[in-house]
Amino acid sequence: METFWNTISAYNAATWPLQIALAALGALLTLLLCVRPSKAVRTGMKLYMALLNFWIAGVYYMIYCRPREYHDMLALFWAIMGCIWLYDLAAGHASLERTGRHSRFALLLFLMPAVYPLASLALGRTFPAITSPVMPCSVAVFTIGLMLAFSQRVNIVLAMFLCHWALIGLSKVYFFGIPEDYLLACSVVPALYVFFREYVRQIAAAPSKPSPRVLNALLAVLCLLVGTFFTLTLLHQFDLFAGL
Amino acid sequence: MKTQKELHEILDFIAEYATYLLGSGVHTSRVIRNSQRIGASQGVDIQLSSFQKSTILTARDETSGEVVTRVVRIPALPVSFERNSDLSALSWDALDERLPLEEIRRRFGGLTAKPRIDPIFVLLTVGLANASFCRLFGGDWTAVGIVFTATLVGFAAKQRMQAHGVNHYLVFIVAAFMASLCASAALRFDCTAQTALATSPLFLVPGVPLINGVIDIVEGHILIGFSRLINALLLIVCIAVGLSATLLMVKNSLL
Repeated sequence: METFWNTISAYNAATWPLQIALAALGALLTLLLCVRPSKAVRTGMKLYMALLNFWIAGVYYMIYCRPREYHDMLALFWAIMGCIWLYDLAAGHASLERTGRHSRFALLLFLMPAVYPLASLALGRTFPAITSPVMPCSVAVFTIGLMLAFSQRVNIVLAMFLCHWALIGLSKVYFFGIPEDYLLACSVVPALYVFFREYVRQIAAAPSKPSPRVLNALLAVLCLLVGTFFTLTLLHQFDLFAGL
Repeated sequence: MKTQKELHEILDFIAEYATYLLGSGVHTSRVIRNSQRIGASQGVDIQLSSFQKSTILTARDETSGEVVTRVVRIPALPVSFERNSDLSALSWDALDERLPLEEIRRRFGGLTAKPRIDPIFVLLTVGLANASFCRLFGGDWTAVGIVFTATLVGFAAKQRMQAHGVNHYLVFIVAAFMASLCASAALRFDCTAQTALATSPLFLVPGVPLINGVIDIVEGHILIGFSRLINALLLIVCIAVGLSATLLMVKNSLL
């Protein structure tokens, strides 16, 4: 727990100007994707996402989180996601065309990287020991927002990686007492449902098994179960705080 | 008595039918029985000898004694027990109702054109099944949750790579590595991490070739039986390679 916050403090203290620059670049590219979605902007965004993932892998985990156990595994996890973005760029997948759907929810997710430090401050932490905009969970939420707002067909592998990350984040709430990670967990459940619902909508015209209606209902039940699990965990966390 | 053209037509259809079954994970003696049944419905005796990649079929007109032989490639198809069952039922219908070849062909086309189970549905159910394995092997609920999402990652990667035509063995290595890498997250928590790691690549175990291989050997189709077992063994080696790559990185935590 102490190591966890020490590494975050060291990372924030040393990289805050770069984090601001990266966050500003992300905001600019997102804005350009909305108003002027040219091929150059889309390529730029994919390169930015790859850079962001490699940053988390290389700078965050391999340099500043070295004292943590299994930092190399987590670095590899993020490096793989960076490679998936590069593969997307090379293969021309996930073209980042604006879908025009779920704009409000996507906007909420785009704002999350800014909400993370505010949530930390609200919980009584002080800089540099706070969650910041260029940290794994903030980047994961931003990625989900990006896929929601700009991907006609979601990269399922990337979505599953983020789902896995959200689950790990939820476990961190239990084991390390970091309630900020609820933001990611709470974003992932509806986002996953929306991703899959879009997929079901796309296949609705073609004959499928089970039928799109049944598939949609199954997804809703699964997301409801996961959501209930998250809610129970949240309530349990409140009890833990009450006991302290 | 069949004309040469009719005999060719019957053999061509049975070759298509038999290779479809063999490619869909049916053991050899069942394919032979089904094919001979369809042959009998048309008054033709069918003999079939199968290998891993191809099949040799011979049709003999029972009246004239004329013989035609074909060597046909077996396509690589996804395993579907429902489809196999439907196609077996078709062979019984053909014999019982003495269906003409055109009608059998039409029904065969209808059955093979039926939609397959949706890949997203398969993804979710495979995740749940693998998480259940974790629980069955004594994993706690944290490990079960981690294995569920680790399986989603590994299986989604497998589906995408297969869709892009990546080498079969490479697919298994990468999928096993990704699933076990994600499952290794369990090591950070106070849970049954070893169970999570061990059960995460179980969804890749080639159960159908293993079972068919054993059935084929027991029923005397030694060559194809061993071919299937060796094929399954190679896939298991690939799973071991992928899992080993993760274990090499976390070995200190497991010792």
